[in-house]
Amino acid sequence: MATGVETEVKTGQVLPSLAKDVSQRRIDVYSGVKPRSIHSDKAWARQKGFRTCVKLLGPGFARGGTMSMAFIKPVYAGDRLTVHGIIKDKQPDNGATRVVVEVWVENQDGEKTAVGHASGLVS
Amino acid sequence: MAGPRALTEFKKLTLDSLQLGDEFVSDDHLVLPEDIEAHGFAVEDDHPWLAEKLAPPTLMDNQALHLRHSKYLVHAGLHARMEFSFVEPIQLGMRVRTRGKVIDNYERRGKPYMVTEYVTEDETGRVLVRGQFTQMIISEPEAAHGHGC
Repeated sequence: MATGVETEVKTGQVLPSLAKDVSQRRIDVYSGVKPRSIHSDKAWARQKGFRTCVKLLGPGFARGGTMSMAFIKPVYAGDRLTVHGIIKDKQPDNGATRVVVEVWVENQDGEKTAVGHASGLVS
Repeated sequence: MAGPRALTEFKKLTLDSLQLGDEFVSDDHLVLPEDIEAHGFAVEDDHPWLAEKLAPPTLMDNQALHLRHSKYLVHAGLHARMEFSFVEPIQLGMRVRTRGKVIDNYERRGKPYMVTEYVTEDETGRVLVRGQFTQMIISEPEAAHGHGC
C-alpha cells in the first residue's frame, strides 16, 4: 500500500521525533491484564529483576511494510520514550518507492531501548 | 457423536524442554472494532484505522508472541528481537489465526533464547503478516506459576 505522500523524502533526512509517555494503563491494554505478568504486575516484574513493569511499542505499515527491531534495554511504566528516525535508503519497488528508515528509541535518560529499521512504500 | 478429545498437556518452558521444529497454531480471532480502538489507545496511535476499516498492522503481534503459551507453561520471558513483513492489511471483521514454528534456540551470555517464525493469515489461508521473533526464556520452575510475556 503506497501512501501517496512523502514523495520528497531524501536519504539522510531526519524525521520528526515522536514522544510517548508509557503509562501502566496503556501497557495493560496492549499486553492484556494477567494475574502475573512482568508487563502489569510490579511485584512480579521486580521478582524477575526489573525495576517496574515492562512495555514495548510497535509502529508499522499496512501493506508492503517491514520492521525489524532489537530490544536492547527494558522500558518501564512511567518512562517517556522518544522515537527517532533517519531515512537511510530509497529503492524502486514494483512501481513504488521503498523508503528505508533507521529507527531507534530513547528513554528520558537518553538511553537507547530499541534499535532497528523499518520500511514502507510511497508512490 | 465424536469421542472425547485429548487435552493439551503443557510443559514448563526451558531450553531443555523446548523442541526445535515445534509447531504452534493460535485460536481464530475475529477482528473487532474494540480491538482496533484498544490497540490505538495502547500505542497512542491516532491514525483513523477504524474509519478505514483497517487494523493497525501490528494488531495481531500478541497472537504471534503468545504462540508458545499454547504448548508450554511460560514462567516469564522477554522479547529480544521482532521482525515483521506486512504483506496484506488486516481488516476489520476478518477472522485471523497465526501459525508458528521454533527454528532456533541458543544460549547467549548465560541466557536462553528461542526463535520462532510465524505467519498470520486470514480464514482462506492468505498471508497477512510474516515474521520472526526472538524471546528470552526465564525459567524458575519451583516458583508459583505465572504468565510472563
